[in-house]
Amino acid sequence: MIPHYDVVVVGGGPNGLGIACYLAKCGLTVCLCEDRLELGGGVENAEPLPGFRIDPHATYFYGAAGPPVEQLELAKFGFRLNYYRDLLGGITSDGQAINLSMYDPERSAKLLERYSKSDADLWRLYTSIPINDFVRLLRSIYWTPPPPVGKNIDPLDLPWVKILREIMPLFDPVWLDLSLFEILDLVSQNECLKVAMGMAAWYNGPHPDWAGTGVFGLTCNLLNGISSGSPAGGMHTLAHSLARACMHHGVRFLTNCKVEEILVEDGVAKGVVLSDDAPVQHRVIRADRAVISGIHVKHTFKKLVAPKHLPLDFRQRIEDVSLKGSSLFTLSLISKENPRWIGDAAEIFSPTFPTCIFLPCDSREILRNQTRTVDSYNTHPISKDNIIVPICQHDQCDPTRAPAGYHVFSPIYIQVPPPEDHVDGPRAVNDAKEEITEAIMEVIRSVAPNLTPDKIVAKFVNTPYDSSLRNLGFVGGGWYGSRQAEDEWYERRPLPELARYRTPVERLYLCNQTSYPGGLALFAVPYNLMHILIEDLDLKPGAWWYPSPDYIKEEA
Amino acid sequence: MKDFTVKLENPLVPEPEKQVRADVVVIGGGPNGLITAAYLARAGLSVILLERRQELGGGLATEEILFPGVFANTHAVYHMMVDYMPAIRDFDLEKHALTFIKPKWQTAIPFADGDSMILASNFQDTADQIAKFSGQDAKTFTHKIRQYQRFVDEILGPATYWPPVPPIEFAVNLSRTPLGRELMEISEASPREVVTDTFSHDKVRALLLYISCIWGLDPDIPGLGFMVPLLIYRNMNKCLCVGGSHKLASSLGKEILANKGRIFEVSQVDKILTENGRAVGVETYDGRQFLANVVVSSLPPQNTFLELVGKDNCPAELAGAAEKWKWDKWSLFTLHVATKKPPVYKAGDAHVNDAFMALLGFEGADDVSACFDAALGDGLPMAAGHATCESRYDKTLSRMHGLFTSFFQVLAPYEIEGGWEAAKPQMEKALLETWRRYADNLEDKNIARISSESPLDIETRNPAMVRGSIKHGDYSSLQMGFFRPNDLCSQSATPLEGLYLCGASLYPGGLILGGPGYIAANAIARDMDIKPWWKVPVSIEKYIDTYL
Repeated sequence: MIPHYDVVVVGGGPNGLGIACYLAKCGLTVCLCEDRLELGGGVENAEPLPGFRIDPHATYFYGAAGPPVEQLELAKFGFRLNYYRDLLGGITSDGQAINLSMYDPERSAKLLERYSKSDADLWRLYTSIPINDFVRLLRSIYWTPPPPVGKNIDPLDLPWVKILREIMPLFDPVWLDLSLFEILDLVSQNECLKVAMGMAAWYNGPHPDWAGTGVFGLTCNLLNGISSGSPAGGMHTLAHSLARACMHHGVRFLTNCKVEEILVEDGVAKGVVLSDDAPVQHRVIRADRAVISGIHVKHTFKKLVAPKHLPLDFRQRIEDVSLKGSSLFTLSLISKENPRWIGDAAEIFSPTFPTCIFLPCDSREILRNQTRTVDSYNTHPISKDNIIVPICQHDQCDPTRAPAGYHVFSPIYIQVPPPEDHVDGPRAVNDAKEEITEAIMEVIRSVAPNLTPDKIVAKFVNTPYDSSLRNLGFVGGGWYGSRQAEDEWYERRPLPELARYRTPVERLYLCNQTSYPGGLALFAVPYNLMHILIEDLDLKPGAWWYPSPDYIKEEA
Repeated sequence: MKDFTVKLENPLVPEPEKQVRADVVVIGGGPNGLITAAYLARAGLSVILLERRQELGGGLATEEILFPGVFANTHAVYHMMVDYMPAIRDFDLEKHALTFIKPKWQTAIPFADGDSMILASNFQDTADQIAKFSGQDAKTFTHKIRQYQRFVDEILGPATYWPPVPPIEFAVNLSRTPLGRELMEISEASPREVVTDTFSHDKVRALLLYISCIWGLDPDIPGLGFMVPLLIYRNMNKCLCVGGSHKLASSLGKEILANKGRIFEVSQVDKILTENGRAVGVETYDGRQFLANVVVSSLPPQNTFLELVGKDNCPAELAGAAEKWKWDKWSLFTLHVATKKPPVYKAGDAHVNDAFMALLGFEGADDVSACFDAALGDGLPMAAGHATCESRYDKTLSRMHGLFTSFFQVLAPYEIEGGWEAAKPQMEKALLETWRRYADNLEDKNIARISSESPLDIETRNPAMVRGSIKHGDYSSLQMGFFRPNDLCSQSATPLEGLYLCGASLYPGGLILGGPGYIAANAIARDMDIKPWWKVPVSIEKYIDTYL
């Protein structure tokens, strides 16, 4: 007998797990198929050396402000989050340093006073906004489906813009058209601060120079500031707690089971076909009510749905979705010492220091050089003079990450082009692994001279090309699926006709970071998709469910 | 740590519960802890399983140690009791996409002159291989292996999943049948004596002695002779778990969760809470308390009784027994490699390269003895042991196109002169040299990545394997059978009311038999007056009727 379920979910990353859990909690029978040995997708850890737990992809959980944590009861299933005192830092090559904390804001403000009294006051003003107001804003932006296509809402009428105007006295509607750097230039002075915030935006979404995305750059920083932390034991424990919630509600997981085809009959998705190597008796799994693709939109429509079910122009638009902007070269460093920073930083990053520090934040021109190299010339930066490196560390607050006396810096990363865009071919970054690593090490040593080669125990590199093999979901080795420039964002992500998670194939839905609002394991995509599925599948969630107050329905 | 994090008054993600109540709390998420928890959860008890590491599995570990994208089984690489382990059938683990593959060609031993012998998964192919060296031994093998099969099917296999009885009583019981008497005849002997008395050709002895003692069984300790039939016969039935050994652990974990059990990882237990001479719960490193009627520990006796319960809270007799516990005599050193081509062994027989494992560095039984002896010292162990190309039969282990994952593993001491950090490069070099003698395509340009794990690393990854003890403690007649871990606890229940054992230090021991976990589940169900939902397999019932 062919096994069948109400819903089959393709892919066990955070979004696939999230929607599987929601639907099972609504009483549906759900089967989730995952190609890899382990669930979690990019929410993973590895222990390549005994006792050292590195983060190959995701390194923070940013989703604390969203409803899914509560609705899916992650804490009950073992999820524990460490909140960092100092989350974000920047350091310049002459030793200036900024240390931003939303949870100890006065300390950050005092430290900022060294460089700019007005920036210090700005930080005080900004952090005086009640956390709950910020939560309301973030939910309205991220945990709300984008408006229906063709709705043409006046930007000032968008719910999140209204909240912004209400809670943030500084906000000026002109910000909606600006880039993050343009907004920061209006309100703040210190370049190190601006570059650090710009970097935080770029690595979580929009580039600080992209027009029309400046507010999202700010809210990325806000996600960083209040909605994030590090799961005790590492990111993968987040996947565990979610998978456990799924199991509790009866989800059937099939790991090592790669989906090769999404079955479509008369234009309706009816199930999946697993690869011949799948260790199961039945290769076909039927879905009575829906198939949900938790994997990349390109993989979904180029590999899983047969071309005959898709219009030609649609296939071309899928082909053309940009992969740029999130392909990361990551380095995990195991060291016998913590950095001893130069200049003011020695004091400012003491006794505690930010878990993520950008270096060097001298000037946005470095960032621009790097962007140009990657996005315009499609090559990779290898000179220490045109990279700004984020360096993340968790072992200071989580003793389970490294044995005493050692430190894990993971991930340290820079952007490089997606393999298929690289002018020198897809393996070019792999061929330059050592050169790029050395450039990164040089940058680190320029602000932390003690991290000499003799202090380094091991280095582990993961390139976009490696990522794309390790995990088929990372098409182009991208961390958040597809670009977050204005023309591929919000109600245009990944394409206007896909923005509400429905697809040209009836009963096939998208639930991946290539849909709005992108990556970061926010569980926002599954939460948003729930709004659509409640309507389409006539679901009756229990009292635990609450929709976004800002959700706009399709007109009948 | 405190300085770096903030405690929020109203955190967006709620704090974990400070105190949780359950019927049963299990310490340790290795194979046995998982099995005990899974049986009891499905029996309707509220069960909590606590694991120190970030992953379940203990010795069922599949890790990306050849980062990025190339995985290896860091402990259990094969499963020799899949056909017997009641849990696999009782839970119908197949539904979690759990599949085992049993390669026909199981263990090859290539020799320096290009000759080779292969232990196959069937009798006649193996006899054919032995016949290349000794017609007499081949003939002996075809007879003996049938006897060995009966030993295992009728006595040793079922006994793996039922509590032990005192040795004298067991001897009396065994003597009831001719088969039992035959088993007794060899039981008093040492493994070497059994192999030597049975087989005459030196190379045949080398193969069979090594696989009998492969996981650190002392070839020269009397009283372990009965292990030879078990290990030889089951070494012809090695199965791999597709997706890596960890898949067995995660499938068992899913059964716990599906039956409303709860699992918490990164939850090292620091204390077993006692009250009036009774275990009432545990406390984790971060101060969470898990209170339960029954506490089950899968950790070795020293950890369970001396560290977690504390000597002062332990009956003196129990503390004394725990103090006497002996760790494994041998640990392991493993060289993992990712290669562009799998190792190709030079051998006249094409199937050597189909074999799941290859024994390297042994020309005769003396070499096997020498390798065990060398690893008892504090110098570099001998570069002779067993190798496997794991991705030959399980392609899922390498996600990188064109890379294969293999390892070469040898017995090694926990302590080595100058320390393992310094000795590692030398050991890697020595192992590669041996490996290349047999497989000359393992040249530098074929090797993409290398990583090695010393006995110290085993302990770091998994502190329950104290001093690299993969079996949680030595196999000697004083720590086997009714005496594992001691005569007070070998039924799983301990003198401390409410505290049970279920790990590899409990009868019958380690090696992913799943025996201790099953025995503990039965003992707890009985003591809690729970009617088991599972049925004891017919083979075990028959064993109980005949021998107990």
